Amino acid sequence: MLSTKYTEKTKLTKDEIDRKWWEVGDYFRRNSLWLLMYCTGCCAIELPPSMTSAYDMERLGMGPMATPRQADILLVSGYLSLKTLRRLIYTYEQMSEPKYVVGLGSCPINGGIYHDLHAVINQLDQYIPVDVYVAGCMPNPESVLNGFVDLMEGIKNKTANGWKKYRDNNEWYKQNQKDALGEVIIHDEFHE
Amino acid sequence: MMNSMNNIKEVEDLVNKTVKVLKTENIDKNQVAFEIEKLEVHLLLMVLKSSGWIQLSYLSAVDWPDENKFEVVYIVFNWEKPVYVQVRTKIDREDPVMESILPIFPGAKYYEREAHEFFGITFPGNPDYEKQLILENWDDIPPLRKDFDPSAYSARKFPSREYPQDFSVKDPNNKTLEKTEERKKRAKALRVGGKKQ
Repeated sequence: MLSTKYTEKTKLTKDEIDRKWWEVGDYFRRNSLWLLMYCTGCCAIELPPSMTSAYDMERLGMGPMATPRQADILLVSGYLSLKTLRRLIYTYEQMSEPKYVVGLGSCPINGGIYHDLHAVINQLDQYIPVDVYVAGCMPNPESVLNGFVDLMEGIKNKTANGWKKYRDNNEWYKQNQKDALGEVIIHDEFHE
Repeated sequence: MMNSMNNIKEVEDLVNKTVKVLKTENIDKNQVAFEIEKLEVHLLLMVLKSSGWIQLSYLSAVDWPDENKFEVVYIVFNWEKPVYVQVRTKIDREDPVMESILPIFPGAKYYEREAHEFFGITFPGNPDYEKQLILENWDDIPPLRKDFDPSAYSARKFPSREYPQDFSVKDPNNKTLEKTEERKKRAKALRVGGKKQ
């Protein structure tokens, strides 16, 4: 009689094994998301209540992280001026893959109340890919956390693949960045 | 109260003794503004600095396109007597040149760079007033001039999102509010164990 504990070894191709490992990786990844908070605008005020005891982001395995190279999520909270966008692109390109971008508030979506300003961009996803938007001006902590849960779902279903898009359509993103900023390289007295 | 009025009187006497004042404006009980000639600004600021107004709080400009003038405003503050003094002067808008006040207030360096960036005023005497400070790679007329149109610039430079459909809560066909009410009622019912109220 065959043991029920024994399962026959199946022949898997390399792609299938890779996929399985990715699924394992995604499981751990989505349960330990580390944030890099790029607090550009007023939506950053919603993060203290989301992180501290009232809503406690830590229970979802999320926490703040100090440097872009250690973080999984780039959290853009609020409007982005051209000067900030230039630094944001620097930061995004330093992060290691897989990386996800969450846009808080209505400003990264369509410009929000700054839609007609000369110094503020209107759509963030023209310059870097955005996986989850949380709409609202400002979004309350419930919606912020809901956005993160949506991102976890996205990682599970492999729909949060902005980092792949950035790699595949790199020329398009670079062209958009160039149209808005002229040049992404920072020239100022503090960097020279 | 009495004291601050005395302070303002004292400033007015000092300024009227030093330069020709075109216009005086009492803004509030501890702020007073003087409009003077362009060439006398340095003299007045020097006198004010030696009489205790040692801090340059702000330097900026106002655009008056109807008069074809820029108004440069210097605000100085005294730590002994609580009076802000605004020194205003009007300069030509077509060829805006204002001598730098760097020898009097070294902290004016960055304010002058900012005023150059946002209004296009040149400050001879400041070695790097032309360096960029806040705007980077700016490619239009200075943005705080009144004839600059920020929304046209934004429309030209930043693509705005297109929405295939309009959504409005005031639309009679939009059932969002009713659905929200239903959901609230359902949530309330669940809170009391699903019993009918």
